[in-house]
Amino acid sequence: MLDAFALLGDGIWQATAPELLAATLIGVVIGLIVGALPGLGPTAGVAIMLPVAVGFGGTAAIAALAGIYYGAMFGGAVTSILLGIPGDAPSVMTVIDGHALAKQGQAGRALGMSVYASFLGGVIGLVLLVALAAPVARAALAFGPTEMTALMCFALSFVTVLGGRNLMKGFTALFIGVWLGMIGLDPIVGPARYTFGFIELFQGVDFPIVAVGLFGLSEMFLSLSRRVGALAERPSLRSLLPNLPDLIKSWWVLLWSSVVGFFVGVLPGLGGTAATMLTYAMAKKSSRNPSEFGTGAIQGVAAPEAANNSASYGSMIPLFTLGIPGSATTAVLFGGLLMIGLQPGPRLFVDNADFVWTIFGTFWIGNLMLVVLTALLIPFLARIVFVSTAVLYPIVFALVIFGVYSINYSMGDVTIALIAGVVGYIMLKLDYAPVPLVLGLVLGPLVERGMRRTLILSEGDLSVFTERPIALTFLLMTVAVIVVPLIVTRMRPVGPPSI
Amino acid sequence: MGRMITHRLLSPVSAMAAVALVALGLGVQGCSGSGEESASSFDASSYPDRDITMVVPFGAGGGSDILSRTIASVIQELDLVPVEIVIENRTGGSGAIGYDYVAKQAGNPYMLASLSVSFFTTPLLGASPVNYADFTPIAAIAMSPYIMAVRAGSPIQSIDDIKAATRLTTGTTGVASDAALLANMLQNQSGVTIDAVPFDGEGEIMAGMLGGHLDFIFGNPVEILPNIQAGTLRAIAVSTGERLQTLPDVPTLKELGFDIEHAQVRGVLMPLGMPPEVVAYWEDILRQVAMSDAWQRAYLDRFKEEPRFAEAEEFAQIIEGTDALYSDILTELGLIQQ
Repeated sequence: MLDAFALLGDGIWQATAPELLAATLIGVVIGLIVGALPGLGPTAGVAIMLPVAVGFGGTAAIAALAGIYYGAMFGGAVTSILLGIPGDAPSVMTVIDGHALAKQGQAGRALGMSVYASFLGGVIGLVLLVALAAPVARAALAFGPTEMTALMCFALSFVTVLGGRNLMKGFTALFIGVWLGMIGLDPIVGPARYTFGFIELFQGVDFPIVAVGLFGLSEMFLSLSRRVGALAERPSLRSLLPNLPDLIKSWWVLLWSSVVGFFVGVLPGLGGTAATMLTYAMAKKSSRNPSEFGTGAIQGVAAPEAANNSASYGSMIPLFTLGIPGSATTAVLFGGLLMIGLQPGPRLFVDNADFVWTIFGTFWIGNLMLVVLTALLIPFLARIVFVSTAVLYPIVFALVIFGVYSINYSMGDVTIALIAGVVGYIMLKLDYAPVPLVLGLVLGPLVERGMRRTLILSEGDLSVFTERPIALTFLLMTVAVIVVPLIVTRMRPVGPPSI
Repeated sequence: MGRMITHRLLSPVSAMAAVALVALGLGVQGCSGSGEESASSFDASSYPDRDITMVVPFGAGGGSDILSRTIASVIQELDLVPVEIVIENRTGGSGAIGYDYVAKQAGNPYMLASLSVSFFTTPLLGASPVNYADFTPIAAIAMSPYIMAVRAGSPIQSIDDIKAATRLTTGTTGVASDAALLANMLQNQSGVTIDAVPFDGEGEIMAGMLGGHLDFIFGNPVEILPNIQAGTLRAIAVSTGERLQTLPDVPTLKELGFDIEHAQVRGVLMPLGMPPEVVAYWEDILRQVAMSDAWQRAYLDRFKEEPRFAEAEEFAQIIEGTDALYSDILTELGLIQQ
């Protein structure tokens, strides 16, 4: 392991070559932009820049492309916090408390936490990447469809925590989300489901597009029924600056959210968004003040932001150690490796060790660049919440439509976002929490596919879930999440449930 | 970003400005100048006199994208065409959007596209307004074989162990893929039950394979060969008519007594309504590409694919044959009602 850090030291030194520094800077700046633009996420960003970046040649190309990926994790939080619109899928959970804080005039504090969390998540993810890449990659392979399904059941069980005040409404929203996730061609046997004959729906509804409508547009629609105006208070310098004590208060959440995010990120097919949902729910569950979540809990920003950053590094592990792209974004990076003439696969680490360690070096430098860039921008960005919504919303609305359209150049996507906006508006009016819906939309398809793959492999035998130790562990944890609070409430009828 | 030129080597610093522009213009669709062109007014002597658009119906970095970009860069490198070839990624709907766009440009001799698996499967599944009959086949330029492989520690040592099994599992990307097609043919001819589990991408299948969750895999050389070299996978057979240069000791499925010969043919298409001169022009260009050292180096060697050139007529037959294969398996799976 010490060897690994010596190699990394060398890699960081290599990564300070001017050409690599420039490439990394380009990557992270573009990442910030695509992350912040609603709708466009890291996958689109990396794909769009691939042909240009390949022109940089070799290591610089991959440094720039990877920079876009983890840069987007920083950028997504900005839009989520300031405007309540998820900049990309992995920052959806950041909207909930981040935007609530911004509406209370504490945008600087929330942005500050997102920067700390992103940076720490990045550093922890990078340390784990360097120290554990090979063993973690092998361990991840133990996760077959059975284990993935059990893990996703565990994540879904947290809907009991995130469902809002009314359990019935929470589950209703969850099932709407699961249903939305089923729209499109059946992933296992093929026929179209709930597409009503629209070819546009064959590929299913895109999660980032629904999230943009559900969280962002809905709030703008709601503002139409209110008096327009800006926040009453004037921006005090304090409200524009990050708050250091928050960091100390949240260190525990930051630490394990980063670790959990990293390991979920490593697993092929799951991805950063699922990681943010898991860590957000765990942060709420373990909080002394769970009712604060949803109304502006600083840990509600810390957990998902730490998780999505470390997950982005975690997802590089299968790519660099095994040549397995486990997510849409790393699949594009895989193409990038091929285009610059490298052979992604188990021997990349051995045959091109220099390249791999230099790339890991650029990750460290890129992470530093991002923290400096975003920290400098916070006082300026935080002012946005003090702009009158009469001025701000029309501009943002246009940006949202532009962002959604540019993902696939499709007016169908714009329509879906608008419909999601209306649905979100109705949910707000009727006091349905939108979080269970996105939970269902992201995790539902993962559970369904995992379950059906498992059952094909086991020829319909459900006992595989109890025979495999990893799957069994997660299922027992799922049961615990649901049952323990019930028992605790029974025994102690007064007071909030806790574990 | 719609429009992007492929072949210039940019230094990061000088690319900074370009990148900023790209970032600002995200989503602004490539406003390529090529409008409608009527075939009747075609003047062969001056063709081509403006930039050619090569549409990729998928995102950057995928197989179809890399193929198109490499073809374009080899053409430019060998200076075979007096104009530029601009790659345009028009994504969405599993290729339906891009292919529909190209098909609608009937008679426009400045529009190219490349073949893919979705070119066949998406229309057959009823998810595309256009199908293979809406295109002019130009030429096949390479082919990607499939290698049947097992994990290094697998008890399966040869095809005999496959035949002796009662049931085996493998992976496929989506419901309809070449891997599913090959697994289906193998099942029908060997009598072994083969369950092909649909995953969302090749990466997930490889993870399932290396993790021991699947029994075998049908994969392209670019993903299988590095694992064979690293000793994590073992090859059992190849799907081509002849053995591969890269794996001379691995038998073909044909040698092993199966009537199975299938590879993914890479090739170039144009919209309908092409004058014969245009077809001949591109056939000739693609022949020169296929025969060139640059192509061998930049594509075949790098992506471990096999040389395969076919003229328009033969290519059209390949396309029809492939469509029939997919039509059969999708009918068998109950996805096409007849």
